[in-house]
Amino acid sequence: MSLVQVYIPTEGAATVVSEIGELGVIEFRDLNPNVNAFQRAFVSDIRRFDEMERKLRFLAAQMEKASITAQPLMPDEEVGRVRTAQEMISLEAILNNHETRVLSLNDAYAKLLRTSLELTEQNCVLQRTTGFFQVAQDHQEEIRRSFEEPSTPLLQSQFHLEAGDDSQRIHLGFVAGVIARQRLPTFERVLWRALRGNLHMNHVEIDEPVTDPLTEEAVQKDVFVIFGHGAEIMKKIRKIAESLGGTIYNIDANADMRRDHALNVQNRLEEVESVLESTKAARIDELNAVARSLNTWMTLVKKEKAVYHTMNLFNYDVNSKCLIAEGWCATNRLHDIRRALQTARDNGNMESHSIVHVLPTNKEPPTFHRTNKFTEGFQSIVDAYGIARYGEVNPGLFTVISFPFLFALMFGDLGHGAIMAAFAAWICVRERKLAHLANDELFGMVYHGRYIVLLMGLFSMYTGFIYNDIFSRPMHVWHSGWEWRNVKANQTAEAVSVGVYPMGVDPVWHGADNALLFTNSYKMKMSILFGVLQMSFGIVLTIFNHLHFKKRSSIWAEFVPQMLFMQSIFGYLSLCILYKWSVDWYATDANGAPLRGQPPSLLNMLIFMFLQPGTVKPEDQLFAGQATVQAVLLLMAVVCVPWMLLAKPLLMKAELDRTRNAGYDTVPANAPVASNGAHDQGVTSTISTETNEDGNSAHTFGDLMIHQSIHTIEFCLNSISNTASYLRLWALSLAHAQLSSVLWDMVIAPCFYMKGTARIFALFIAFAFWFITSVGILIVMEGLSAFLHALRLHWVEFNSKFYEGSGRKFVPFSFTDVLTNEGGPQEQE
Amino acid sequence: MAGSIIFIVGFITAGVAAAGYMLSPKGPNQVLYRTMILMTLACMYLMWAITYLAQLHPLIMPRRSDLKPEHFQQHSMDG
Repeated sequence: MSLVQVYIPTEGAATVVSEIGELGVIEFRDLNPNVNAFQRAFVSDIRRFDEMERKLRFLAAQMEKASITAQPLMPDEEVGRVRTAQEMISLEAILNNHETRVLSLNDAYAKLLRTSLELTEQNCVLQRTTGFFQVAQDHQEEIRRSFEEPSTPLLQSQFHLEAGDDSQRIHLGFVAGVIARQRLPTFERVLWRALRGNLHMNHVEIDEPVTDPLTEEAVQKDVFVIFGHGAEIMKKIRKIAESLGGTIYNIDANADMRRDHALNVQNRLEEVESVLESTKAARIDELNAVARSLNTWMTLVKKEKAVYHTMNLFNYDVNSKCLIAEGWCATNRLHDIRRALQTARDNGNMESHSIVHVLPTNKEPPTFHRTNKFTEGFQSIVDAYGIARYGEVNPGLFTVISFPFLFALMFGDLGHGAIMAAFAAWICVRERKLAHLANDELFGMVYHGRYIVLLMGLFSMYTGFIYNDIFSRPMHVWHSGWEWRNVKANQTAEAVSVGVYPMGVDPVWHGADNALLFTNSYKMKMSILFGVLQMSFGIVLTIFNHLHFKKRSSIWAEFVPQMLFMQSIFGYLSLCILYKWSVDWYATDANGAPLRGQPPSLLNMLIFMFLQPGTVKPEDQLFAGQATVQAVLLLMAVVCVPWMLLAKPLLMKAELDRTRNAGYDTVPANAPVASNGAHDQGVTSTISTETNEDGNSAHTFGDLMIHQSIHTIEFCLNSISNTASYLRLWALSLAHAQLSSVLWDMVIAPCFYMKGTARIFALFIAFAFWFITSVGILIVMEGLSAFLHALRLHWVEFNSKFYEGSGRKFVPFSFTDVLTNEGGPQEQE
Repeated sequence: MAGSIIFIVGFITAGVAAAGYMLSPKGPNQVLYRTMILMTLACMYLMWAITYLAQLHPLIMPRRSDLKPEHFQQHSMDG
């Protein structure tokens, strides 16, 4: 990883940055951290692209409404090619054009739709009201008579005779219109109250619902006609109708006029319909034209926006006519960068060169682990804990095997492992076809971890074979090392050893009354052995970290005491486990007298090693000279504690004193130090200010002591609790084996006691139930729990021994990232 | 001594591991291949060895009370 500085001539900066974005190998640093996002050099350009993006989104939304799908992106070089500024400007014009046309067409369409709606309603009103007028005419006489009664004097002054052809008629005004059906009862009631019943109302339902052009909802509507008299009342009726969302249409009282009107309305309606159709067609044509290149434009605009966001990170100097960029890149990709810059220069016909040069620096670079599709899942397990510091030992490499293996110790079953491995292998084989599942919420996790699952399955098959479990049943691959002799009915029989089962647990233990006694002891001890091994391996890895970070003294001050502490307690325990296994405790001499006493308990041995150092009871003795060995080991462990606690701080203090005596002093942490020798142009000194990040010199002796004592206590306590923590390997394995054997005994086994056809049917049903439960609970749920425990063993027990994980991930500026995750990393306003 | 097979298998495994180490294909993934081969062999060997060792000198005998005498006329076994 090198820190590089790129000088880019201002005239073709966008082209150059696009070329770098296609390559995707540089992570640019922000050189204007103090400048607010709105005051940066290229904000106006970004605004422009935002506007273009908005227009594209608008067009896309319009297309979705019209159910037109945009043409998928062609993976040709049209998209990959870097565009010039002129092309972007013309694209902007094209987008503007399309947007205005679509907008105006939408406008026209909406207007026409409203007109058409009005005309339709008017048509309905005209047709449906004819009947009412007929009835109204018939009742004229009756109404007039009622008005002439002296009992209604208040109204008397308000009516007058119509001066038309029939002078005897009262002038009855009317209001006709359309109102939503659900509002009609309210309308009626309000009218009744407001006019105190001085009206005659008729209404009829319109059969087909009318579509509202604004909300695009279908509304059931009614036509109403209200007869009343007097200008005041008519005004009131109109007001009430309008306030309730009704539409009033003016129609004539005269039947002939109404007929003409209706004819007119029909003609206009037809005209409007035809115009509406052609507008719709024009809009779809327009959108189809957009659909052809919408995705290409979208890609272009997004890329261009990302380019300007990146350029905002650069140092912009108006006078020197060049942009200065600084960023991290992999040292072996420098050549590619130079070539890309050359290509950009050739394409853009630029006169001046872009220059790359490497800056010497003492900053900590971001960490970049090259992964492939196989390792990326494992690396992400590690990255979830913490990103490695630059140059730190990457546990991801070891996790590739240790993770699936520890998982398999807990999940050991040949059958379950085979199903898991087969499923994962199926995904791996069809990974291209199943790639769309990667974004699925539930299945995506399995898809990303398919190689982890594959290895987990394969190792589970091996551990299952060793545990001699296939769907909780034993396998008799070789002859058992035990024989049953003198078996009598209803009596407990004890097997006789005739050999050792060559590979795995002897099948005789399956179904034995004391099977758990054996497997528990065996699995517990195995957990401790693997745990101590993995932790010791983790401690060994610290050497590489100490060497890389040039802290040779730490090997003596940290690694050696840690290793001694670990081995003198738990290494010793592991050796005792192996020793106890390797000794034949029941061996007899020639006369048949036992050579040794009862096998001692290892747990008690470890406890009494601390409680009564230097003494071992003769009946508990594992080997000769045990008391002395234990006393020495304990002393060693005790000595290691102050060693870990004091050695490192004292060494550092000595070093600090030496520098101080030589006349140097600590530099304030935030003081700018022009520590690179590359400011030959005078500009660099302003940007390459580096803060003193080597924190040690700023710390006092007291801080060091506190830090070291926490570290020491943590290590000592953790080495005990972590060893115990590995017992989860045994516990989970026990749970898995018991659960699957219970399932077999409860579901499948009873079927074998049935007779005849009942057995066949019962087996058929029981097998289905057993298989579904096996997959659902034993493989998926138990697998998940074993996965979590394996994860914990790696994060807490293994990583904590050597892995700091305080680094920062290398995120290069790359168009692929910009296009795949919406927004991209540049959106940080 | 029956236990010596643990060392024999151990030497064989070490030989296989050495061969795998030598023969792992060159390229950017060589370290990965080597680590995988070594760790896989180590884990598998250790597990086998531990299991074998645990049964080499058994401290308890398997016991069953549900065996039927008629099944054991020819010293056959059933798990």
